[in-house]
Amino acid sequence: MNTAFKHPVPRVNSDVRGVLVILFVLAAAAPASAQLPSLTAGDWLRIDFKARFQGDLRKSEAPIRGDEDGGIDIARRRIGIEGRAARVFEYEAEYELGLHQWRDVYLDYRQFTTVQVRAGMFKVPLGLEENTSATNLDFIYRTRISARLAPGRDRGVSVHGRILNDRVTYEGGVFRNDGENARPSNSARVFGNRTSAARVVAHPFRRSNSVWSSLQAGGAVTRSDVPLGFPAVRARTVFGASFFDSDVWVQGRRQRTGLEARWRPGRFSIQSEYIRLTDERRGQSVEDGDLSPLVAQGWYISGTYGLTRKRHRLGRIEASARYETLTFGSGNHSEEPSTSARADTVLGNSDRVTTVGVNWHVNRWLKLQANVIRESIARPSMGPMPGSVNFLSRAIRLQLSL
Amino acid sequence: MIRLLLIVLILWPAAAGAQAPDPFESGTLHDVRLYINSRDLQELRARYLEDVYVPADFEWRSIRVRNVGVRVRGLATRSAIKPGLRIDFNRYVEGQAFFGMAALVLDNALKDPSLIRERVSMAFIKRMGQPAPREAFGRVYINGVYEGLYAIVEVVDSAFLARELGDGLGYLFEHKYVDGFFGEFLGEDYAPYKLRFDAQTHRLESDYTLYAPIRELFREVNHDVDSTWRERVSWLIDLPQLMTHVAIETFLAEFDGFLGGSGMANFYLYRPLATNVHRVLAWDRDTTFQEVESPIFARASDNALMSRALRFADLRTLFLDVLQQCAVAASQDRWLEWEIYRSHELVRDAAYQDTARPFSVEEYEAAIAHLMSFAQRRPAFVLDEVAKAR
Repeated sequence: MNTAFKHPVPRVNSDVRGVLVILFVLAAAAPASAQLPSLTAGDWLRIDFKARFQGDLRKSEAPIRGDEDGGIDIARRRIGIEGRAARVFEYEAEYELGLHQWRDVYLDYRQFTTVQVRAGMFKVPLGLEENTSATNLDFIYRTRISARLAPGRDRGVSVHGRILNDRVTYEGGVFRNDGENARPSNSARVFGNRTSAARVVAHPFRRSNSVWSSLQAGGAVTRSDVPLGFPAVRARTVFGASFFDSDVWVQGRRQRTGLEARWRPGRFSIQSEYIRLTDERRGQSVEDGDLSPLVAQGWYISGTYGLTRKRHRLGRIEASARYETLTFGSGNHSEEPSTSARADTVLGNSDRVTTVGVNWHVNRWLKLQANVIRESIARPSMGPMPGSVNFLSRAIRLQLSL
Repeated sequence: MIRLLLIVLILWPAAAGAQAPDPFESGTLHDVRLYINSRDLQELRARYLEDVYVPADFEWRSIRVRNVGVRVRGLATRSAIKPGLRIDFNRYVEGQAFFGMAALVLDNALKDPSLIRERVSMAFIKRMGQPAPREAFGRVYINGVYEGLYAIVEVVDSAFLARELGDGLGYLFEHKYVDGFFGEFLGEDYAPYKLRFDAQTHRLESDYTLYAPIRELFREVNHDVDSTWRERVSWLIDLPQLMTHVAIETFLAEFDGFLGGSGMANFYLYRPLATNVHRVLAWDRDTTFQEVESPIFARASDNALMSRALRFADLRTLFLDVLQQCAVAASQDRWLEWEIYRSHELVRDAAYQDTARPFSVEEYEAAIAHLMSFAQRRPAFVLDEVAKAR
């Protein structure tokens, strides 16, 4: 039963809604010159102040995890600085006001194009979408594989650069753990120890003027060790409901593999990605032997089409569509699937998500997005709506970036 | 061609007569092997007082059932050294079964120095025409280490009921021993009944549906008016079946059964659909064969239900009749003696090697001797008592 849609009067926090409306009106009416100040000291120092606010209106036939505001969510309230120092350094520091958490905090030594060094807290280099700023996403929510399988941020050091006449970009680094996406909210779960990561992306036609110039394709890999325990990498729907509990003993190497491609010819763009995460299960069988690895994998393909041309008086409006999957299971499929924490063939589950939406870039600061999301859970008894394979969700996001 | 025909004719009877393997084949000492991750086994032993399930593989003969759930079971017989175990074949794999069974019990017989009371008692109950779980003796190995001699016991569930009663669709309750409950009315609230009668089927149904008939049973059992007692209680429990059940228990000198010394214990209640009439099913019979001269009305007056039922002449006669039938059935062809002897011969070596049992070899032999003496003398004693009581 669709309890969320049947809610007669959503428990809307009227203050929040009011703030969102005011922000929208102010931003839409803002003169083009309006922006946060910058401080400069010749060529030696530049400090740009930035702020970003995102508010969501959400409704779903399935339960929304942590939905205390009856469908309204302040997704992000971030402030920060970024800039250059001593001509060879770039830096960024961003703070999430809602969570009282530092986000990206790093220093980048960029004297040479081919070899640059970054240190601090930043995103582990795996995942095309995960390494795209939230400001520039084509959809309100990241894909399941970006949100759950890509590592996200962590503390570390990386070497990166562009080589072969800018046709190849690379990044390789070492991180304290395997990213915030894999870190448990429940301390009993385990995540990766020191993680090494590498990503290479080719832009074979970057120097050409053909429609292929924006084509890029690449791959990435991360490796770490996971101590004994149940993994913190969880299967969640778009709105955070579990569809596989990951109550499976793991121990050993954790490896992520990512493949990515993107092409943006003119008003049209398409991108696709595949991520596979495997956790070894050394010594975890009932006879203390090794089990087949726990496998989480998924892919997506998405596209956008610009409905308006650049500099249109209404701003830029684009339509978007995406299909994605996220599957949890095991490497072995030869036995009867089981929910046992020591099963060689794990009774897994998958979520297939189709999203269609519209993005309205009102001006350079303000973006409105609307998405309709249809999810299908392969084994609904393990999902948020045990009696239903499919469920619909809707979301609207207002984003203000200064 | 003729040669081929001859071979077929010779082999045909052998093939036709070949029996399907039976995990309860009583003439065999079965080997049951469990494989449990060493960490889980450590946890199972450390937390043996809790109902913690761990995953395991179960093996009998060449049949290996993967991903079963195992937990320690029992009340007074809980042990970390020789744990009584419940195997749930379908805990982690939906619909998985072993010879049609969703679960199995490995009874550690911790209170029984003879180690054979449980199986012999259940065999006798079956001989008396009452439903009883199938049982066999088994050597249990965990990760290749011999844990001891166990009774392999079929669980009382819908499949058991369907086979024994032809109806497994009704409401089944396992009596849980909480305190000295002798059948008194426990009040209007369902809570004390839920505590003592654990629903095994229809678990999602309302307390009213599940427990109102049980509450009414004990209300009517304790009703003051004798003239209506029989009629009203008969709507809620099958009194002749209860008389039969208790008479068999009494013949076996059971100390921890329906007329248990510390209150009612070790039975199931079953109520078919579309009726409120319950019946009693036997469970856990490892404290039988107590005293040869245990009185035939021992503790009957302590129990609210039995004390009132025995006031009715026909029920009292039935009770005595069944006792008499038990005596005859036990002594006829020295059935009970042979059953004890046969069981002893089958398990003796395994019992000697069972170092986890809390009894010495001498105590084991003395217990077997007591059982043999019981089998020889109990029928005559009971017949004498029955004659006096008529």
